[in-house]
Amino acid sequence: MAVAIAAARVWRPNRGLSQAALLLLWRPGARGLARSHPHRQQQQFSSLDDKPQFPGASAEFIDKLEFIQPNVISGIPIYRVMDRQGQIINPSEDPHLPKEKVLKLYKSMTLLNTMDRILYESQRQGRISFYMTNYGEEGTHVGSAAALDNTDLVFGQYREAGVLMYRDYPLELFMAQCYGNISDLGKGRQMPVHYGCKERHFVTISSPLATQIPQAVGAAYAAKRANANRVVICYFGEGAASEGDAHAGFNFAATLECPIIFFCRNNGYAISTPTSEQYRGDGIAARGPGYGIMSIRVDGNDVFAVYNATKEARRRAVAENQPFLIEAMTYRIGHHSTSDDSSAYRSVDEVNYWDKQDHPISRLRHYLLSQGWWDEEQEKAWRKQSRKKVMEAFEQAERKPKPNPNLLFSDVYQEMPAQLRKQQESLARHLQTYGEHYPLEHFDKRGLQCFPDFSTAEAPPLARMIYP
Amino acid sequence: MAVVAAAAGWLLRLRAAGAEGHWRRFRGVGLARGFLHPSATVEDAAQRRQVAHFTFQPDPEPREYGQTQKMNLFQSVTSALDNSLAKDPTAVIFGEDVAFGGVFRCTVGLRDKYGKDRVFNTPLCEQGIVGFGIGIAVTGATAIAEIQFADYIFPAFDQIVNEAAKYRYRSGDLFNCGSLTIRSPWGCVGHGALYHSQSPEAFFAHCPGIKVVIPRSPFQAKGLLLSCIEDKNPCIFFEPKILYRAAAEQVPIEPYNIPLSQAEVIQEGSDVTLVAWGTQVHVIREVASMAKEKLGVSCEVIDLRTIIPWDVDTVCKSVIKTGRLLISHEAPLTGGFASEISSTVQMFNYAICCVELPLYGKPCSIL
Repeated sequence: MAVAIAAARVWRPNRGLSQAALLLLWRPGARGLARSHPHRQQQQFSSLDDKPQFPGASAEFIDKLEFIQPNVISGIPIYRVMDRQGQIINPSEDPHLPKEKVLKLYKSMTLLNTMDRILYESQRQGRISFYMTNYGEEGTHVGSAAALDNTDLVFGQYREAGVLMYRDYPLELFMAQCYGNISDLGKGRQMPVHYGCKERHFVTISSPLATQIPQAVGAAYAAKRANANRVVICYFGEGAASEGDAHAGFNFAATLECPIIFFCRNNGYAISTPTSEQYRGDGIAARGPGYGIMSIRVDGNDVFAVYNATKEARRRAVAENQPFLIEAMTYRIGHHSTSDDSSAYRSVDEVNYWDKQDHPISRLRHYLLSQGWWDEEQEKAWRKQSRKKVMEAFEQAERKPKPNPNLLFSDVYQEMPAQLRKQQESLARHLQTYGEHYPLEHFDKRGLQCFPDFSTAEAPPLARMIYP
Repeated sequence: MAVVAAAAGWLLRLRAAGAEGHWRRFRGVGLARGFLHPSATVEDAAQRRQVAHFTFQPDPEPREYGQTQKMNLFQSVTSALDNSLAKDPTAVIFGEDVAFGGVFRCTVGLRDKYGKDRVFNTPLCEQGIVGFGIGIAVTGATAIAEIQFADYIFPAFDQIVNEAAKYRYRSGDLFNCGSLTIRSPWGCVGHGALYHSQSPEAFFAHCPGIKVVIPRSPFQAKGLLLSCIEDKNPCIFFEPKILYRAAAEQVPIEPYNIPLSQAEVIQEGSDVTLVAWGTQVHVIREVASMAKEKLGVSCEVIDLRTIIPWDVDTVCKSVIKTGRLLISHEAPLTGGFASEISSTVQMFNYAICCVELPLYGKPCSIL
């Protein structure tokens, strides 16, 4: 303020009122408020000031032509707690999680890994149609899930099964969805790995990428209005972050002040597209400040770093009603899916490095061992037990029938409209006549026969003429 | 220098004052003529813009819903929104420029009445508006999104078709966004050209899982909008923008519902069935009276009201009676919704003819 008054003396020597005017017009801290306060406010219009008056930005003038150079050589640093050997680097950052919790983290990751191996194989054997593994990214799932409340709403992309695993989603239901059998809560309608669970607050996965991002923001806004003390977490990959929906989601979250955590799994590839072809800036974390969002980059293979960042983001998002962006750096060790062979676009050496030298499961195991909470015997026993659990669920899922074909037509709307009912009846009649051409023995057929046999020569009802 | 500048300014102002009267006469269509013949008397050149002609035909005052008030279409929309926000504490309204009242005044007064957390602007992003609305609805709260013009709904097409419409089905009814309603100004206004006139209902008709509703009048609009908001499925409510001011009639102040997926026979007839929706209903009504007067033809006029799921039974029943069908809409002909109606009715009528029901032996023709 003293500087401003001195400046006024230099610039306007003849205007006697200038100093008094400046004192009146300069609201102490108005501009400072705009900088430090998370919300950018409209500045009061004061025409006598030589400061910028534009409503669109809170900034000073500069008389030197200079373009801002994006910094990609030395980008936003990566927060970590453990080194690659699972040793705590800075003891003050150790979350000091209790033994049961750390064991739960470890068992969730390893059980997921076991299930991934078996289900990937089952696709290879033609038992299920499709699968996506989570190899290398297990740390991002469980580290973040462990930092949330069980009622926090989760919107995912498709590579977050570890969040469900951590929330104790039964193996039977994972398998049911992949097999599309009669136990699938989703009624067998989607491709494998499109899990959803209302009880565990995990919104059903959909294939289009990044569509969940603005939806998660809306859910967070509703949670804020309801004073629910809930946060919404939204997972997506670095590839999905290129979608327009991601931009929309970030901007809405910031302007509408929503309690949401944006969790980006930057795993280096979007199918075959490496990050160098996905973006030219400093990853996803650097975009956050552009929207006015608090952002951090973490080592995604360090479960404690992921945990700490998510925990703090959750606390502040709910307390301050603002979004947080966490970019978890990791590596996709597996192929994109069973339809992909990643040796076509990356070297086996690269994959091996991550598998052997920097894996979230190994690093946590080293930590467990150094704490004396785990040993070789327990490891062997757990491997055997987890494999047995998965195989049991797998064999059961195989044997169950597929859902009733009538379920093709329900839930399109809450109530079934007349046209869909007619189509449903038409299918039933079709199956009556031509059922031998369909693998009906694998399906639940209860209630399917809804019309009398038409083999007797009678005039068919009107409805049958429209939908033969 | 200052004197010269001041003098120049004075001269310019003088010229402007003198010119004003001169220029006033050349506004609009007469402007070109004014340029060519500056001395011509120009009262005859001061024509109004030619706009599409139709006469809004109000319905008789409704008696069964209590006290009514004269409202135009945008006021009836405001009334419906007011009723919704009063009844449902979770309901919120959002979109571009809704806070100050909206570019068509549909949300005037609502922010002051219900608060800035319930009626608020969003950034300029239709895919964000609809995605955000879906998210609110997923939690069970009521989301009323506005897309400023139906012409701009396309960035949100993915969210509507791939997400909103399929939410319930794909999750096995674990999740849904049934409490989402999207409102958008729709249809010709005369001067709107390519991007302020579109009728995109046909694109959405091909998408099971959503409902698409188009009112013809203020009374219809309020009842249908309230039904959309309360409906347990995501709905798109298109508001004929030319009717915002041009249509005014008595509308009940209290909330009331007009059922969805029910077409209305607004005029009975025996020779031909005329089907339309939105603004075109009024054109078709005029056509019906011209046909009666000049051709002695008795027309049955049907307002479809809900595009999907549409009321097949009412239309087919009418065509069984009249034997002839004419469908009229603003949208492009190819792939327009008339093609869905006509093919379904033809399938139905073919069935009737095949079974040779003697009562309905009239020849069938579809226009």
